[in-house]
Amino acid sequence: MEPNFKWLWAAFSVAWALHVGYVAVLSGQTRTLARQIGDLQAQLKRGTRADPGREG
Amino acid sequence: MSDFSREAVPKWLAAVTGAALLAAMYLIFLWVPTEATMGPVQRIFYLHVPSAAVAFAGFFVGGGAAIGYLSKRSHRLDDLSVACNEVGLLFACVNLVTGCLWAKPIWGVYWAWDARLTSMLLLALIYMAYLILRQSIEEPGQRAAVCAVVSIFGMVDVPIVYMANRWWRTQHPAPVLGGEGSLDPRMTFVLFFSIFALGLLFWCLVRQRRHLEALRRASDALRREVQAMV
Repeated sequence: MEPNFKWLWAAFSVAWALHVGYVAVLSGQTRTLARQIGDLQAQLKRGTRADPGREG
Repeated sequence: MSDFSREAVPKWLAAVTGAALLAAMYLIFLWVPTEATMGPVQRIFYLHVPSAAVAFAGFFVGGGAAIGYLSKRSHRLDDLSVACNEVGLLFACVNLVTGCLWAKPIWGVYWAWDARLTSMLLLALIYMAYLILRQSIEEPGQRAAVCAVVSIFGMVDVPIVYMANRWWRTQHPAPVLGGEGSLDPRMTFVLFFSIFALGLLFWCLVRQRRHLEALRRASDALRREVQAMV
């Protein structure tokens, strides 16, 4: 193994770790928001059923 | 179909991007010849330079979308601007980190305060400030307008970073494309292929980030409706 091989691996590992970390953060935030939207839509549906006069 | 229920990254785009990235890794590690002076560590170049190219392109698209937002006030342009700037910052960070890891075995130090490195660091700091600013302004219209101005400011800095090692004497290597340096045709091919593969990855991430912004807007609108109902 050539002496400067470790720097090559370090660079590619850090680069891909940054990308994977960013994708993980994006996916986590997307899932959280999708769940929140589902909850809010359910809340709205319950609210409009309980108060039909508000519809339209 | 609403903005938030559609698929952000189509399966075909994800598949093409994955295949292109795998092909790029094959070319970088197994196909391209090893550079005679630096040895294997020179292969960092095929990640370092394309990351900068993609980041610069992202900052330009982000800045263009910011100009579009200021003239049309369309939230879609603001979404595109923030997505391109945030993902562009990710690639700029990859460029900075890979540069430091290349510099250590070649220069003996991780960092030199020369014009190219310092201007690139400043560019990344401008976009970090942009993201912090986005978090700190509550009112959506004001947030988009102020951030659009910062985005344009960042975009103007890109050509300065690009030209830094032409305008000033720097420790950073001379440009290999369009400069004094020359590159083996196989190296040139791998460089452009890596730019293509990372460009595809950039576009996937931008689509996902725009989708997230659409979800945020939908969530805020629903929350206001629920609050009005209570």
